[in-house]
Amino acid sequence: MSIESSLNPLFYPKTVALIGATSKSGKVGNIIFKRLLTTRVKLYPVHPKETEMEGIPVINDVKDLPDDLDLAVITIGALGAVESAEICAAKGTKVIIVVASGFGEAGEEGHALEKRLGEIPAKYGARVLGPNTLGVFMPETGLNTIFVEHGDRSLAGGGGVAFLTQSGSVGSEALGYASNIGFGMRVFVGLGNKIDLDELDFLKYFGKDRKTKSIAVYVESIEKGKEFLEEAANISLEKPVIVLKAGRTAAGQSAVSSHTGKLAGSDRVIDGAFKQHGILRVLDDEQLCDAAKVLSMSSLPKGNRIAIVTAAGGYGVMCADYIEEKTSSADLAMAELSEATSKRLKEVNIGFASSKNPVDITAAADSTCYAENLKILLEDDGVDMVICVAFFSPAGMSEGLVESIAEVSEKYDKPVLIFSEFGPFTDSYLKRFYNEGIPGYPSISRVVRAARFLVERKQILENLGGEV
Amino acid sequence: MKEVIDLWLKSLRIEGKPDEWESKELLSQIGINVPEGRRIMPGENVDFEELEFPLVLKVCDPDILHKTEQGGVKLNVTQDNFLEVKKELEIKFPSSPILSEAMCRITGTEFILGGLLDPVFGPAVMAGAGGVLTELYKDAVFRLCPCTKAEAVRMLKELKISPVLEGYRGSPLDLDSLAEIVSKVSRLFDSFEGELSQIDINPLVYSGGSWTALDCVFIMKK
Repeated sequence: MSIESSLNPLFYPKTVALIGATSKSGKVGNIIFKRLLTTRVKLYPVHPKETEMEGIPVINDVKDLPDDLDLAVITIGALGAVESAEICAAKGTKVIIVVASGFGEAGEEGHALEKRLGEIPAKYGARVLGPNTLGVFMPETGLNTIFVEHGDRSLAGGGGVAFLTQSGSVGSEALGYASNIGFGMRVFVGLGNKIDLDELDFLKYFGKDRKTKSIAVYVESIEKGKEFLEEAANISLEKPVIVLKAGRTAAGQSAVSSHTGKLAGSDRVIDGAFKQHGILRVLDDEQLCDAAKVLSMSSLPKGNRIAIVTAAGGYGVMCADYIEEKTSSADLAMAELSEATSKRLKEVNIGFASSKNPVDITAAADSTCYAENLKILLEDDGVDMVICVAFFSPAGMSEGLVESIAEVSEKYDKPVLIFSEFGPFTDSYLKRFYNEGIPGYPSISRVVRAARFLVERKQILENLGGEV
Repeated sequence: MKEVIDLWLKSLRIEGKPDEWESKELLSQIGINVPEGRRIMPGENVDFEELEFPLVLKVCDPDILHKTEQGGVKLNVTQDNFLEVKKELEIKFPSSPILSEAMCRITGTEFILGGLLDPVFGPAVMAGAGGVLTELYKDAVFRLCPCTKAEAVRMLKELKISPVLEGYRGSPLDLDSLAEIVSKVSRLFDSFEGELSQIDINPLVYSGGSWTALDCVFIMKK
């Protein structure tokens, strides 16, 4: 069966059973029930005693569920979950999500249950996601089984990032990040203990998905190493694959075995293997989200030369330092502005502004002047991308700076990245930039690193293309 | 490649345990330079006429992993002390063969090439700053096997010492031919199809305009 037909019932189900549904507020089975109520699916809540929830009849025994359901979400404890999963699978349910923990990570008894769960796909043909997973969230359809708070309303607009995570907490924090300063979520998948469906399946599925612009993966173990790499290399020709492989050091590895009871591969080999297969490697969740964000939003630069426009001198200087720093990732360079550019900059700026890179337009400048400067820099052939230090405290900077920057930048095919900080309002400004289609970051080091991700991605494409 | 490996495996003096001479024979067969040399079996007499001095005498036994530390490597052996040094090694390692090799003139930095069998990703090839301090530098990069030459070039450029491969302070060391060797080693390792567990070529040195493997250990999978 193709990966599309296996997984379509998971992401686009028409019929869903919720085993463990309850009207008791605060319970996992209640949170998920409410989330599923808002979607168009035909819902079958299952609870041994309740008769009706929000006008929907409750089924008291799993055995009484209809045949051939698309999806079953099981929120009850490990033993009950396995029994229910077996019954659903026997009745032809196509995909089963097992939310409960208490399996492979919980000793011998858990192992036995996990083994039983693992036998379901071969025996009945049903696919299993989990156990120990938050399940899936797809803004496009509203399908959402995540039972923790995650700013879902602000994510409802969707976006281009397919986010696959083996850790629920890392995943839900990423959702928080996405809803706070903005990146668009195409889908969220909690991989959990990966008893059946794993990162490779979802990599294949979202690799083919037109609406996915970048794929971000958090894993602690990769079982099908070679296959994963080869699939990633293929997908990488079209869209970025960013992977955070946790469990890097010896200490980290022992943490991995206690966390999901799996072995982690050797780190340095992974580093080389990722490079060889066009995978952009990141080392923590902040980098994972930052990279997924910029790579799902921005075009790629032609080169690595950056111009900076700033109304605050100090941040321009810091930014230049970060740009020129040598790291293990791609090299960046400060753009050398042409004579013509310097001349044009002098014409639009006040006398003591700098017409060299970084271009310091001073706190006396206003939003119109800022936009003029950005335009001039984007028109210089020696500039591959621009970092805008966007401050809103100078008197001349209006709220409209966000729109002015957006208006200019959308006319050029060069990346424009934002650093913005404004006390307690930082997040809301970054969010506004996001809504205008411009990736923004709350620190200089992060915005420069985002520029590096773009250059690294460009190099990956060159390397993959140049391979024989 | 597979046929070469099969023949080589059959020719080993001790089954499943290649010694240094045998390992170098294999490298030589796939086009990697090794010093001119011969293996002297225990009790075997050597005709002086066949040897070029000065030379190196090394104990040649797959069970002796740290031969330098155990006094099993003798450098700068001349016609005058050859018999004496040989005797010394024979007394110390009575049942082991001795490898007699030409001394090499070395230019610049030593490198290490290696291979290992990763539990998840399979055979991987490594290149790094070599010599006795290799574990101190930790300047090493990996790729999975097989690794193309183009990929090996990118890999070598990631090393901190990579400038010496691109003319740093007049260094003549050649990046392109080293990348070729990395790629060859990766294909060799891959062709073992999981039967080989580790390779250590350390040091790999630049000598007389080409790369030469001065020492080499192959460890088969148990």
